[in-house]
Amino acid sequence: MNSHTYEILLALGVLSPFISFWLLVFVGPKLGKPLAGWVGVILGMGVPLAMASYVLLGWWFGEDAASRAMLGEQAFRYHWANLGTVPILVGIKLDSLTIAMYFMVTFIAFWIFFFSVGYMSGHSDEVDGKSKYHRFFAYLSLFAFSMLGLVLSSNLLFLFIFWELVGLCSYLLIGFYFHERVPQYAQMKAFITNRVGDFGFIIGLMLVYFQLGTLDLDDAARIFAEQYAAGTGIFASTFTMFGWSLATIMGVGLFCGAMGKSAQFPLHVWLPDAMAGPTPVSALIHAATMVAAGVYLVARVFRLMTPEALMFVAAIGCITLTLMALIAMVQTDIKKCLAYSTLSQLGYMIFGLGCGAWIAALFHLITHAFFKAMMFLGSGQVIEGCHHEQDMRKMGGLIKKMPVTAITFLVGVLAISGFGIPGTNIGLGGFFSKDEILAVAWVRTFDWNDYSRHEAEHGEHHAASVPAIDSDDDASDNLNGNHKQMLLASDPQHGDSHAAPQHGEAHTASESPRGLKPSAHGDNAHGRAGIFSHVPPMPKWMFYLALFTAYITPFYMMRCWWMTFMGKPRDQHVHDHAHESFMMYFPLIILAVGTCFASYFLFRDLISDASTAATIAPMVLATDGHLHTAAIAAAHHWLITGVGGSFVVGFVIAILIYGRGLGIASAIKNTVGIQQIHTILDHKYYIDELYHLVWVKGCLCIAHIARFFDTWVVDMTYNTLAKLTERLAAFMGLIIDTHGVDGIYNGIAETAIGMGEAVRRPQTGRIRNYVLFAAGGATVVIVLMLLYWGVGSPEQVAMLTP
Amino acid sequence: MEHIGLTHYLIVSAVLFCCGIFTTATKRNAIGILIGVELMLNSTGINLVAFDRYMGPGRLDGQIVALFMIVLAAAETALAVGICINVYKNLSTVDVDSASQLRG
Repeated sequence: MNSHTYEILLALGVLSPFISFWLLVFVGPKLGKPLAGWVGVILGMGVPLAMASYVLLGWWFGEDAASRAMLGEQAFRYHWANLGTVPILVGIKLDSLTIAMYFMVTFIAFWIFFFSVGYMSGHSDEVDGKSKYHRFFAYLSLFAFSMLGLVLSSNLLFLFIFWELVGLCSYLLIGFYFHERVPQYAQMKAFITNRVGDFGFIIGLMLVYFQLGTLDLDDAARIFAEQYAAGTGIFASTFTMFGWSLATIMGVGLFCGAMGKSAQFPLHVWLPDAMAGPTPVSALIHAATMVAAGVYLVARVFRLMTPEALMFVAAIGCITLTLMALIAMVQTDIKKCLAYSTLSQLGYMIFGLGCGAWIAALFHLITHAFFKAMMFLGSGQVIEGCHHEQDMRKMGGLIKKMPVTAITFLVGVLAISGFGIPGTNIGLGGFFSKDEILAVAWVRTFDWNDYSRHEAEHGEHHAASVPAIDSDDDASDNLNGNHKQMLLASDPQHGDSHAAPQHGEAHTASESPRGLKPSAHGDNAHGRAGIFSHVPPMPKWMFYLALFTAYITPFYMMRCWWMTFMGKPRDQHVHDHAHESFMMYFPLIILAVGTCFASYFLFRDLISDASTAATIAPMVLATDGHLHTAAIAAAHHWLITGVGGSFVVGFVIAILIYGRGLGIASAIKNTVGIQQIHTILDHKYYIDELYHLVWVKGCLCIAHIARFFDTWVVDMTYNTLAKLTERLAAFMGLIIDTHGVDGIYNGIAETAIGMGEAVRRPQTGRIRNYVLFAAGGATVVIVLMLLYWGVGSPEQVAMLTP
Repeated sequence: MEHIGLTHYLIVSAVLFCCGIFTTATKRNAIGILIGVELMLNSTGINLVAFDRYMGPGRLDGQIVALFMIVLAAAETALAVGICINVYKNLSTVDVDSASQLRG
């Protein structure tokens, strides 16, 4: 297919929700209650989904690897403006990751939009007698526009612009019920917390702009690798902070943006509060798509990350995934429970990226998006059905009233827990994606020495001896060699046990672009090998924490499901009210089916395809996603049985505790020792309190100091000056103005009057007087002439006389 | 008996002029003022003729100017008398003090 066909279709898919947004803004109120929603569904998301499906199929089945890479190379770039001397190129980043993300976002968002029509019909949406139903879909459309724009951006500047736009939509939608207090505070908290992260993001952007001299993702990565090889630019700087080099600070700065958006510790505080928004919003923005934008950003700037920066990323991810999973264990609000589980899973993705599991982390992003969106929608159905009751302690036994919701929710629980049968290729989402992250982490922690030594020899050889461009064949061979080595090391006899689609994908993916664009690939490979020859192994505690959390996840998810749907009804009123409606459970079924197939569908292949060009290959450990095959199970036996079986352990413990109502749980809670831990978890480690103390109170304290300073120093100075000025002015007015300036003018005026008076007197109007004056004057003149001027003197007379 | 020269003529002329001024300055009757003006004109006529005779012998400039002056004086008198008649018609008097306004 013609290269630009894909781009035009994708761009149309971005434009359509934008049109929908303006349409709803201006004519939304006239369209009325159901119609405005359907406009949002069709124009806002239906059109993009159609585009995405068409592009996805064409991209994957209509193109081979070489033409995909070529299309990506030729993607449209428009020279928009110059920032200083740096040209800003607007364009579309066309690669498999973009298309996978685009399809995932549109697919999930479409069903969430659909769900929203049902969800909002049952909600009072009037403020001051005016319906804001259309506004909800306008915001959703704006979000769709921003999110798709973010995914498509080829330029960090535009990525940042769309990044801020999704932040704005998040703000607007969290505070959709703005007439209530809690959403107001939640939206502000979300917005401000994100600004903290964006501050770091901007620092990162500045460093990219100044040090690499471009904001284009591909160019930046290329220049970064070149600068590393030559030791110039950002690598020539001797600046350090916290022991980090400038290059590391750039990576960490960019990651700060992701920390805010993906709610990583310590900026995670906004996400649980964001649950104050309508449930479809929580599902779409705060579980499936927008919070994943941070992970997407890290994946996109992965090539600009130094090993130290990645270690920081991994550490943050690791802390987040553990702490949040622990909090999720004690939550009683169904949405909060899901929110903390989202945080924990985002932590897994960030952790995965940090330890080099690029493919696995993005794969987890996509599988997670499916099942978490579904679970949130399920919780929305439950909340809606239970008369806006969110406390799981008042639910129970809802499986009889809401069978579809319960079953689909269970699918989500199984998927997030990593349900699967070790040794086979049967499993749900997390079984492949999360466990692959853990497997990569295992390699980085325990198996890394051999791997990195091998890498170092070849990598440094190239970095030292071969000048940039012609090294591609060798370097690529090394990369491929390493890929293969990894694969071979992990699956020597996997042979036929692989069910087809993923099999060998990494081979083709890494080999394909070599022939096609040798220079770019060669440069990347060159830089990659050099930079990552020094990658240290991961600390053991990170791996153990991630592994430990893999056991907690099934526990809290099963706890959540069991408390909601199983057991006996604990609140008869809620139970009587419970019901489910087609508009709302139909998307659940679709997404449940999607969850089952997401692991087998094209996503992994697409990401694997993108990884070759989009990452630094030696760092991306291609563990192939099939660790659960018998062969790998034999190689890492304890890991696989441990992680693969974790869901059983978690489920069993959850069912043992919650199987007979809340009695056992509360008994455990009240045990000495556990009680204190429970209190700490229930208060989320007092982080909110700490932030309140440090930031809010700190701000107020500074404000008070500033006010004191303002009142007593600044105001005093100005008041004194004002008083002095006033006095001076009074003095001036009295002395100088009255007596001086006025005096001069009055004096002039009086003189004129006096003169006029004097001159007026001879003007009698009598001709006799005038004649007299004239005669007198003439006499005087004549006398003067005679006496003084010598007229009539003898000489003159003599002169005149002939 | 001294020979009569220019000075004598000038003295007569000056006396005549002074009389004219005096008349003009003191009379309230318009006709009286007119007579005073005539006296002054004629004193200058004497001057012209006297200077012509003594200062520029053989030339007739001064005498011709004097003739012009006489003609002009006649015209002027005719005009002034016309004004006087009009003033009289309007104010029933020829007292110049009562004709102190330019409105008519």
